[in-house]
Amino acid sequence: MKEVLRFENVSMHYHSMQGETVALENVNFAVSEGEFVAIIGPSGCGKTTLLSLAAGLLPPTKGKVATSGVSFGYMLQKDELFPWRTIEKNIFLPLEIKRADTPQNRARALALAEKYGLKQFLKNYPASLSGGMRQRAALIRTLAVDPDVLLLDEPFSALDYQTRLSVCDDVYKIIRTEKKTALLITHDISEAISVADKIFVLSKRPASVVASHALSFPESEPLKRRENKDFSRWFEVLWKELNV
Amino acid sequence: MKKQQNFSSEHLLYLKGVRKKSVIVNVARCAILLLFLLIWELSARFEWVNPFITSSPSRIAKTIGDLYKNGTLFYHVGTTLWETLAGFFIAVGLGYAIALLLWWSEIFRRISEPYFVVLNALPKIALGPLIIIWCGTGSKAIVFMTILIGLIVAILNMLNGFMSTDENKLLLLKSMGASKIQILTKLVIPSSLPNFISMLKINVGMAWIGSIMGEYIVSKAGIGYLIVYGGQVFKLDLVMSAVFILCVLAAAMYALVSLLERLVIKNRK
Repeated sequence: MKEVLRFENVSMHYHSMQGETVALENVNFAVSEGEFVAIIGPSGCGKTTLLSLAAGLLPPTKGKVATSGVSFGYMLQKDELFPWRTIEKNIFLPLEIKRADTPQNRARALALAEKYGLKQFLKNYPASLSGGMRQRAALIRTLAVDPDVLLLDEPFSALDYQTRLSVCDDVYKIIRTEKKTALLITHDISEAISVADKIFVLSKRPASVVASHALSFPESEPLKRRENKDFSRWFEVLWKELNV
Repeated sequence: MKKQQNFSSEHLLYLKGVRKKSVIVNVARCAILLLFLLIWELSARFEWVNPFITSSPSRIAKTIGDLYKNGTLFYHVGTTLWETLAGFFIAVGLGYAIALLLWWSEIFRRISEPYFVVLNALPKIALGPLIIIWCGTGSKAIVFMTILIGLIVAILNMLNGFMSTDENKLLLLKSMGASKIQILTKLVIPSSLPNFISMLKINVGMAWIGSIMGEYIVSKAGIGYLIVYGGQVFKLDLVMSAVFILCVLAAAMYALVSLLERLVIKNRK
């Protein structure tokens, strides 16, 4: 499988008048095409920094972030739909930004929206949609420009537990159907186990990768995985690694 | 919200309660005004107070009628209205543009900060004599005064709106590879629309302060001129009439901005 993203000895320091903070220290990992990779770590360990590095929004202080010419789509904790735009206009936003607002691209984005049940909401404003639907719209917006790799920054953490499980299931299925590579960052162990093929565990700040696991579940859907007996075994393993 | 035809009786009762309350509020508002005018009129008519000093609603009506008959009413109203609107639009437009510039450049923002703080605190009327010398004694001086009073407030309010753009939405746009100009047009300007409306509302008040104050210092016409003139010759009916006209005009301008607000901000939460 082709590698799409590789972190080589990446360190990240932040500077402020109070001093220097080391957020990441020698982080090494790789993501291959078609994989669903989860990175878990304790709160405040620099997870969001890691995604910003992957997306090329920040240059690393040391080391190298290699991306083999792939494009990224970013999905944040909240849906961040613009309240003054209709769902349709929100979905077109990345097309406008990338100056790719052509009829073909619009049609493609609309087809995606339709495929995943947003057709009836296209002319609505975000305020009239449920949290789950809004997050789905945010995903379709991310997919509108057909990115190769999706970067998911705790995309379900703003939702209540019930919605969270179903939206996680929902997003997972859409990502799989569209055959996208995904890098999920979360502090929720069970969420990581329920979706990932591979899990990297980060230590406390300064964060580095302390463990990596390849998961194989016979079931692919998150909700079914949660019922598997291996689920709790994995949970224990990761729980211990997170708390050393 | 969908329209529902068959409400439960509890819901109907609730709706009735809400409507009843708003009726009470409206009736009370009108009643207070009418009562106030009535007491004013009666106490002037029966000379419980000296009507020469307090004037009265009927005398105000008569004064406005006289102004209308001798053809000067619209001349004075027009003069002040023109000065106010010109000052208002220039202050708002210029303020918006300068705020954009300050948003764009952090270094410019930091350099200019102490100047804005001082200029904001300075009572602009202190510049009165300078304005007369620079701009003469015509409408130009009054418009200039109006701009001075509104401009800094407009800049600071708008800059505050631009700077409070949601960090996560900025991150989202940056992750899409947006340029600064795209961030400005797609996010910063639309998301600061509520700040723009509230800035307009504040500046309606500022514009009237500016034009009336300007007319106090230098003027040959306008509502502020009528007030000063009326005070000097002890025609308090004229002063009261001018104040009344001012109330009506300021309220109308505020209502227009409120209408704009309702048209523009529909779908936000």
